[in-house]
Amino acid sequence: MTFTRQGTCLFRPQFGILCRHAVPMGTTANEEMNTFWAKNNKLNRPMSPHLTIYKWSMPMMMSITHRGTGVGLSGGISAFALLALVLPGNYPYYLDLIHSLSVGPALLSLAKFGIAFPVSYHTLNGIRHLFWDSGKGFKIPEVYRSGYVVIVLSILTSIAAIAYM
Amino acid sequence: MAAIVRISSVCHRGVKPLFYRSSLLSRTLVAQQKDQDCPYPLTARIHGSSSLYAGSVSKAASLHWTGERVVSVLLLAMGPAAYYFPGPAVDYSLAAALTLHGHWGIGQVLTDYVHGEPKIKMVNAGLFLLSTVTFAGLCYFNYNDVGICKAVALLWSK
Repeated sequence: MTFTRQGTCLFRPQFGILCRHAVPMGTTANEEMNTFWAKNNKLNRPMSPHLTIYKWSMPMMMSITHRGTGVGLSGGISAFALLALVLPGNYPYYLDLIHSLSVGPALLSLAKFGIAFPVSYHTLNGIRHLFWDSGKGFKIPEVYRSGYVVIVLSILTSIAAIAYM
Repeated sequence: MAAIVRISSVCHRGVKPLFYRSSLLSRTLVAQQKDQDCPYPLTARIHGSSSLYAGSVSKAASLHWTGERVVSVLLLAMGPAAYYFPGPAVDYSLAAALTLHGHWGIGQVLTDYVHGEPKIKMVNAGLFLLSTVTFAGLCYFNYNDVGICKAVALLWSK
């Protein structure tokens, strides 16, 4: 991507006015990012506190939860796929194995909630993201409102999924 | 949380940069109105750089973004599809969409947190391997075992 930067026009210094003209930059964003990190790592600079000092807001927490559930679900799917390739026997066999452990209804429901909630939250917040991608819903009250809707619906749909079967 | 947009590393630099003496160039300038010659506001003098834009820009990043949204929407549609029409068609579609959505998603996470050219290359290679194995495993499961839709149904009937 070509970037341009604004420069000082020195042709008429007596006016003290800065005129703008576009000059293409010599580096890409990737190069600049890499240079930044290389320099700061080389100088062993500590990072300024950020997550520990900035006041956490609901949109922030929802955002990282979206990422967390995404990574968790993806890891779960990969683990499932790997086990499918590696373990002998088939799926119903292992399901019966877990059945035979007789876990108890409370723990069973908890486990189901542990699967249902990440799916439900990530899906609903994903829809919220898609609305943002279409350009809608960026006003701060709207962000908070849609956020609360996602949280409430996630919990409700997860409970419904557990109660359903 | 803002994600850094990934820009393709194979994009061109279309135009040779024009260099004035580097001390004169700064990236952003705050202009000060010292002069009565310019009564009109500063904003009137800001012009978009598009008319002076030179060189071509790779559309890879933009297309990738669009692809991500398309796969997201398709995956969304597969939820009800899996519920109402379980079977091999949905099983394999789900395997593909889940793997791709996860691959691109983890890719964005890595882009945000991993820095430095060699590290980036390494983790991306690892991710590619993981996604390949994931897709292979899911297809294997669909072919040799009950399939994704049935598996969820069986799990939930517990």
